[in-house]
Amino acid sequence: MEFTIRAATLEDCKDISRMILELAEYEKVSDQVKIAQRDLEQDGFSKNPFFHGIIAEVPEHLKSKEGHSKVGYSLYFYTYSSWKGRAVYMEDLYVMPEFRGKGIGKALMSKVSQLGLAAGCTQLNFTVLDWNKSSLDFYLKQGCWDVTSDLGYHCMRCEGDALEHLAQGGL
Amino acid sequence: MANFNLRKAEPKDVPDILRLIKELAKYEEMEDQVILTEKDLLEDGFGDHPFYHCVVADVLAEHQKVEGYSVIGFAMYYFTYDPWIGKLLYLEDFYVMKEYRGFGIGSEILKTLSDTAVTNRCSSMHFIVAESNKASIDFYKRRGASDLSLQEGWRLFRIDKENLLKMSAEE
Repeated sequence: MEFTIRAATLEDCKDISRMILELAEYEKVSDQVKIAQRDLEQDGFSKNPFFHGIIAEVPEHLKSKEGHSKVGYSLYFYTYSSWKGRAVYMEDLYVMPEFRGKGIGKALMSKVSQLGLAAGCTQLNFTVLDWNKSSLDFYLKQGCWDVTSDLGYHCMRCEGDALEHLAQGGL
Repeated sequence: MANFNLRKAEPKDVPDILRLIKELAKYEEMEDQVILTEKDLLEDGFGDHPFYHCVVADVLAEHQKVEGYSVIGFAMYYFTYDPWIGKLLYLEDFYVMKEYRGFGIGSEILKTLSDTAVTNRCSSMHFIVAESNKASIDFYKRRGASDLSLQEGWRLFRIDKENLLKMSAEE
């Protein structure tokens, strides 16, 4: 299938927002999405962006049933490992269902790898849900390994009231 | 108790930051994994686009319990992004030297970080902990942290440089 992979622009935020919701629905948690197109524009395309995006686009004649030509995306940002230094974190990777199995996901991930390496990163990190077997298989085939399984690292979060409480010095 | 001071790290703190990174890695039985150098830390933390931020805890000379060291604790963090909820603060490393534990220094560091998170309109603070590190898990849970790996099934995946290079070369 013909497709191109390119850096996301401000104009892509409408489609990125659409696909974020589609991915959240796929992960069965769409009620948790609080970020709108406007937030993405501000947080990703101002002077100090909090993330970067890449888009997979197909030509006119291959558009989706609803008329979308932007059919996949990845959001990533740079992080830091106190052991190894610069790293890249792939926050989202998504391809619309009807465009899967054509190498688009792999191409998006390849682009993130290229950009990460160019920025001096030595590792790419991301999280996957344990029930998402098709994604787990895809990633393991690309040479990824499960840090949670192998090293026992758990992802932790402190949010909302707990975060406010902590900020006020409470125990 | 020793009076301590929490402040933003400066370039001159880099040797101490690396020392403490190695001490924390040793505590996690991962000392041989640290390949980061002082040069990396200086370039990556104090250039035009820092990959990380650091706060350090130091004590006055007359309160030093360990000869020669005034910087006795630190936290390394950076900002990340969740396309569902926006900006997050990611806590990469957090450590207080053994001789200085139990005096509230760790709690004070966490308070400062939480405050930073709230001030920067981050909805959450994320970090990872090894499941074998019961003392730290209890410390965090007492402060309202939740274990996303257990509760929601998130697994942290990684792809290292060798496979990153292979992936980035694929067309």
